[in-house]
Amino acid sequence: MPHYACNAQFQTCRIIENLQIADDTFRIRIESQAIARETLPGQFVMLRIHGCNDPLIGRAFALYDRYTEDHAQWQGIDLVYLVKGKFTQALSRLSEDDLVAMNGPLGNTFSVAPVDHLVMAVGGVGQTPMLAVGREALGSQKFGNEVDELIDGEQTLSRNGYAKKVTLLYGARTAGRLAGIQDFRNAGFDVRLATDDGSIGEPKPVTDLLLDLLEVAPATESIRIVCCGPEPMMAAVSAIAKEKNISCEVSLETPMACGIGICFSCVAKIRQTDGQWDYQRTCVEGPIFDSAKLVW
Amino acid sequence: MTTTETIDLSTKLGRLSLANPILTASGTFGYAREMASIVDLTKLGGILPKTITRDPRPGNAPWRTVETSAGLLNAIGLDNDGVDYFLANHWPYLKSIGSPVIVSIAGKSQEDFVYLAQRMNEAEGLAALELNVSCPNVSGGVDFGTDPRSCFDVVSGVRNAISCPLLTKLTPNVTSIAAIAKAAADAGTDAVSCVNTVLGMAIDWRKRRALLGNKVGGLSGPAIKPVALRCVYQVASQVNIPIVGIGGIATVDDCMEFFIAGASAVQIGTANYYDPQVSTRLIDHLPDAIRSLGARSLQEIVGTLQ
Ligand SMILES: Cc1cc2nc3c(=O)[nH]c(=O)nc-3n(C[C@H](O)[C@H](O)[C@H](O)COP(=O)(O)OP(=O)(O)OC[C@H]3O[C@@H](n4cnc5c(N)ncnc54)[C@H](O)[C@@H]3O)c2cc1C
Ligand SMILES: Cc1cc2nc3c(=O)[nH]c(=O)nc-3n(C[C@H](O)[C@H](O)[C@H](O)COP(=O)(O)O)c2cc1C
Ligand code: FES
Repeated sequence: MPHYACNAQFQTCRIIENLQIADDTFRIRIESQAIARETLPGQFVMLRIHGCNDPLIGRAFALYDRYTEDHAQWQGIDLVYLVKGKFTQALSRLSEDDLVAMNGPLGNTFSVAPVDHLVMAVGGVGQTPMLAVGREALGSQKFGNEVDELIDGEQTLSRNGYAKKVTLLYGARTAGRLAGIQDFRNAGFDVRLATDDGSIGEPKPVTDLLLDLLEVAPATESIRIVCCGPEPMMAAVSAIAKEKNISCEVSLETPMACGIGICFSCVAKIRQTDGQWDYQRTCVEGPIFDSAKLVW
Repeated sequence: MTTTETIDLSTKLGRLSLANPILTASGTFGYAREMASIVDLTKLGGILPKTITRDPRPGNAPWRTVETSAGLLNAIGLDNDGVDYFLANHWPYLKSIGSPVIVSIAGKSQEDFVYLAQRMNEAEGLAALELNVSCPNVSGGVDFGTDPRSCFDVVSGVRNAISCPLLTKLTPNVTSIAAIAKAAADAGTDAVSCVNTVLGMAIDWRKRRALLGNKVGGLSGPAIKPVALRCVYQVASQVNIPIVGIGGIATVDDCMEFFIAGASAVQIGTANYYDPQVSTRLIDHLPDAIRSLGARSLQEIVGTLQ
């Protein structure tokens, strides 16, 4: 059995900046060389406000990006969060030099098997892991501590990634909620947007974007879908993937209390080899699962 | 007395001797393996893995935890793979750690408890058993912790079945916790653990729905510390039995309050989730606090409320 959270560092960290980047959406930059060095795309951190008992327990946030000022080493990470309830409201009021307690990196990663076209279908605040995922797929950034080679801003392409092409299908309630579009475009993704209210393009769900894409995709092109967002949307994307026989991985956002496998609160129903389902902990066995194994 | 004089942190819970009084509470430390890379497990006074039952239990439907003001509500529902799986897959690791491991068991009937105790006899190196007669999330379990007669029967049944030390974990959701503690003491428990979670509920009024899948659950964390402290105090003043304090403990001050109220040891629960290294840090800082009272050992300060 694996030793869970084996690369996790539990640290008190300084906030470098905490900027609003869209409606109700902030990007927070947190100093931690250790976490930035270790983290892989798709992983998450548990975040708390240092010394604060209300909110009490940590909240999970996906890695959005890493930053470097000296271009010599990664100095910390960026997270993007939607202001939703108690914790994110309190977080949005913090500023430079305030302290957070951070535990990470945690959780598993998406598959890195070679594929022609990686299609990222996201909704709500599910876009957050995809900047790092797509960059790694295209080979424009390397992750993990075995690679010391560093990247100068966005410019340097190091080695080949695992996908030839990356498309981001991004759905939001309204245009003001779309966050990080420029980052995704700069990273070389084909970005296609949909809003529920039609404030950008036709009012349609992200699943329509996916169906449109699949309809015109060349038969010779191999496709893999990665998906993160509200549960009904992930279930709908998984159903499309199943029908079209395309492999699909989803990143679940089940409520978590510890993030390290000790509380058993974050469970999802996962199909076992014998066809039965069992509850598994999304923080250590996930958060990323093969959608065919999930019982929605 | 010089400030460098070592402070004796050792403690006794009946027949169970521990090097220090900081233990990790059942259900809040996984099966310890999960914490191996985060915490120096060998430093802990004792480790309680998640409660096991006779048969595997899938546990309750999500959501299983909801945060409330300075507290956490949970209804995990004793999700575990059963005693066979535990002995085959978790025990070899647990016994290799080197710290005392106290296994928490829960049953729906007295026979279940006795059966589990007999099975745990196979577990070489077991330090003690903790009888979870107080889990609020499983019908059946809580009755043994709310009725002195059934509590007595379960504890004496287990006491006859296994020779290792016994802890009995009590619920605060009763009129008189001292009456239950007395029954457990009369039946031969070595110590009582006070307390399990406080029954509670959270509601999303817009959706008119309970937030927990199980609707009601158990409250833990700093929010329940005053309740737990009161329970320890009441048991200490009415029953002659060693007490393990549990409930909202996260700082050295919290530990000291429980010791003064009458606890000979404490278990750290919810704090493990948000501060995984809390237990070993408490062990490092306890000596200074004890020294500040002019004492040289933990034993000198236990139950010294004036
Ligand atoms: C692996 C993982 C990665 C995540 N990454 C991000 C991220 O990158 N950015 C981001 O903004 N958030 C992310 N989240 C969600 C985040 O952890 C918090 O749940 C969210 O910020 C709400 O916290 P809060 O205290 O502000 O709201 P709360 O006060 O906890 O809740 C606000 C409202 O949302 C509901 N709610 C709370 N948790 C959930 C949930 N999990 N699912 C559905 N409803 C819920 C509550 O009932 C309440 O009505 C992630 C979660 C997971 C598990
Ligand atoms: C998520 C969760 C799961 C728990 N599971 C168990 C359990 O399996 N067995 C048990 O005896 N107590 C269990 N408890 C109760 C704790 O061991 C402890 O008694 C309680 O949480 C109060 O302490 P605290 O405030 O320090 O958490 C659980 C508590 C929580 C929060
Ligand atoms: S969040 Fe605690 S086990 Fe997953």
